[in-house]
Amino acid sequence: MSQHDGWFMLLAIVAAFAANEVWRMLGVLLSARLDEDSALFAWVRMVATALVAGLVAKLVLSPTGGFALAPLWLRLASVAAGGAVYGVTRRSLALGVGAAEITLIAGMAILGT
Amino acid sequence: MVVQTPEEASTDVGASYWFWSGARGALSVPGFVLYGSFFGFGAMTHDFGWPIWAAGLSTLLIWAAPGQLVLAGALASGAGIGASALAVSISAVRLLPMVVAILPVLKTPQTRFGTRLLAAHYVAVTAWFEGQRRTQVMPREGRMPYFLGLANGLVAGSAVATVSGHAAAGVLPPALAIGLLGLTPVYFLLSLERGAHGVGERVAIVVGLVMAPFVSQMSPSFDLLWTGIIGGTLSFLIDRTVARRRRST
Repeated sequence: MSQHDGWFMLLAIVAAFAANEVWRMLGVLLSARLDEDSALFAWVRMVATALVAGLVAKLVLSPTGGFALAPLWLRLASVAAGGAVYGVTRRSLALGVGAAEITLIAGMAILGT
Repeated sequence: MVVQTPEEASTDVGASYWFWSGARGALSVPGFVLYGSFFGFGAMTHDFGWPIWAAGLSTLLIWAAPGQLVLAGALASGAGIGASALAVSISAVRLLPMVVAILPVLKTPQTRFGTRLLAAHYVAVTAWFEGQRRTQVMPREGRMPYFLGLANGLVAGSAVATVSGHAAAGVLPPALAIGLLGLTPVYFLLSLERGAHGVGERVAIVVGLVMAPFVSQMSPSFDLLWTGIIGGTLSFLIDRTVARRRRST
């Protein structure tokens, strides 16, 4: 893998920047004419949502790096704790993320790594 | 800091006043949650073997945490630059409706096209949500400079957080370092739910979560694309069916 090559990384980031920016520019061009409640937009938002959710599942279930040192049950327990606290605190991102972090760090400390 | 005489402040505050009050708004709870997640992202890029400058540059240029994470994930699973950029682009489609929604709030009839493009560049979940929420109650001429100040503050804080996370990943005790790596997925999951409109997008979250592990067995390099397209379309059909049922009953 050539991932550590500086030019490869630079090119990958610039390509990702362009790929990302296209939609922002289109948004400016279309902002006068587009109906953001249309069916096409609804579909597009759901595709993007499913994609990012899929990424979350991959990161939690089959992480590639150091996160894999945490056992699967602890990774799942951390996400579950985050979701539960988020749910009971009227959807507070800060408290949900905090609860997931505390669960994960405490779990790893108890397991003694 | 902007120092103003009382006369100036009371009658006609300038664009720089709005810009700097926006920048101060970056030091807020949503800002710090964002910096926390970029700190975690920085730690993750260290784990993926990215050099530290690449981590910082990705935040400054791309400025969309989902896109940056998709890029890191795609490169790590061996996808080339083209396939990675395509996956990033799909994750960024959501920015289009966000730009369409926020520009009418920010612009005045005098706002130049270049300024609109600049404002659109800063549209990402936190900047968009906070920018829209806060500027709606402001006088119109103050909105654009306030948003640009807020967004620049958020970018600066996030870039510092990304680089710090990358640097910290190597020296922290293992329990804390692993904790950092777990921050990004849960932040994403919760902010997806926070920003979801209606039934369909919530269904899309669940479908995406369930589908991804199976799809990645079948198509390791393009799994995110397929999860998005198949999962999103399925959610769309479910959403329309639910909407039709509701209308007919």
